[in-house]
Amino acid sequence: MIEIHDLHKDFGDLKVLKGVDLKIKPGEVVSILGGSGSGKSTLIRCINGLEKITSGSIFVDDFDVRNKKDLMEIRKRCSTVFQQFDLYPHLSVLDNIALAPINVLKQNKKDAKIKAMELLRSVELEEKASVYPAQLSGGQKQRIGICRALAMEPNYLLLDEVTSSLDPEMTAEVLVILKKLAKEGITMISVTHEIGFAQEISDRIVFLDEGKILQNLSKDEFFSDEGGKSDPRIAKFLSKMGNQ
Amino acid sequence: MYGDQGFTIFDLQLWAEGLGITFGVFLSSSILGLIFGSIIGLIRYYNIIGIGRVLMLGSEFLKNSPVLVQLFLVYFGIPALFTIDLSPVEAAIITLSGNTAAFIAVIVISSIDAIDKKQLEAARSFALSEWQILRLIIYPQSLAFAMPMFVSLAINQLQVTSLVSVIGVVDLTRVGDIINQRTFEPFIVWPIIGVTYFVLAKLVERIGARLEQRFSVHQASSEI
Ligand SMILES: Nc1ncnc2c1ncn2[C@@H]1O[C@H](COP(=O)(O)OP(=O)(O)OP(=O)(O)O)[C@@H](O)[C@H]1O
Ligand SMILES: [Mg+2]
Repeated sequence: MIEIHDLHKDFGDLKVLKGVDLKIKPGEVVSILGGSGSGKSTLIRCINGLEKITSGSIFVDDFDVRNKKDLMEIRKRCSTVFQQFDLYPHLSVLDNIALAPINVLKQNKKDAKIKAMELLRSVELEEKASVYPAQLSGGQKQRIGICRALAMEPNYLLLDEVTSSLDPEMTAEVLVILKKLAKEGITMISVTHEIGFAQEISDRIVFLDEGKILQNLSKDEFFSDEGGKSDPRIAKFLSKMGNQ
Repeated sequence: MYGDQGFTIFDLQLWAEGLGITFGVFLSSSILGLIFGSIIGLIRYYNIIGIGRVLMLGSEFLKNSPVLVQLFLVYFGIPALFTIDLSPVEAAIITLSGNTAAFIAVIVISSIDAIDKKQLEAARSFALSEWQILRLIIYPQSLAFAMPMFVSLAINQLQVTSLVSVIGVVDLTRVGDIINQRTFEPFIVWPIIGVTYFVLAKLVERIGARLEQRFSVHQASSEI
């Protein structure tokens, strides 16, 4: 369970998150929508501790993000997939995936690599195991990014616009994998501009606007005319994103 | 008559000793410089207790003042200031280590700067410790970047060692001077000394190229 209570995040004078309350239950798939600059990335980065929160609280499975020791535990439980992939360029694909399992989870090297290989197989990239990231296409890199995240056997998967740097074809190949994961029951928090994708995989949609949660509704409610769309700001956002 | 003795077998021995001193001073100051320079660079990178700036100012001074001046400062300054004895070789090693460290620090910092920082955030998000990030991600990538600069610095510092002869270190240059003064055969002595430096430099270059290749395998293939 992820419990966010009255979360505030400032960057100097700029108030980015202004009192966010959010609970995410195990097995839930939650999509976070919202305009550019509304604080979606910041919210994700507060959960995995890449940003220090200004006030309020975040607990992941009862571990407190403000506590250094707890944060390490949180990071073991939450894996992040990044928009720009952010793979380690000096390591082979296999080593990219196995690095944290070996060094953080202290898995045996051989086992970690066998598991990494299985993950690669699941995204149909096993023949790329010994290749370096620079030799991969964007879509392939992101599939590796997903493998790297899954190798930690996380309870929660945090996704921040993981297809925004990809062309439509590559986006499709990544979304297929994420859809499969969502069906398998992994808890997912996904920031996305792919409305169709959000509609397909989510249990719940959270709409962020200027650092506050404007709506937090089940998917069906959110996309219904009397639910989410009754809010003019959301209706405008959806029409801009190409959803009528 | 003085200056007309011709070469003897002892000149060869003298040459070998000078070579040994030159190489010894070079090697020890390179290793010490690498260690201290890396420490300074890392202190600067992690901005530990705010002394990074002071250290960088020091290394700026070492980089931008003549090595000969530094040599005199150490050789005559340290004994006067701390009332301790300093042999010419010790003074030479201290000076060149400091000078090398200053250059190494700058190389280390620019090499770390060259790394894409977002991958470090990714590593952090997977619960890797700062020490693991340094060891597993920053170190290998910045080393690959720094290696060519380390090699050209080493070749340069090898030539710089010839300055230590002025404070009385009997290095290769000083040996050349001694033999030349006795034999008055500058066109034999100095080319031999010059070629010796040249061969040493080529040797360093060769070893450097090997190391470069070894540490840049990943980097090279990741640039395809
Ligand atoms: N490290 C930072 N320092 C200062 N301001 C920041 C920092 N990170 C984000 N911001 C600001 O915080 C606001 C929210 O940024 P954030 O990246 O969370 O938005 P977002 O909802 O993810 O937007 P997008 O859809 O464009 O990715 C923006 O105004 C951004 O400029
Ligand atoms: Mg964002």
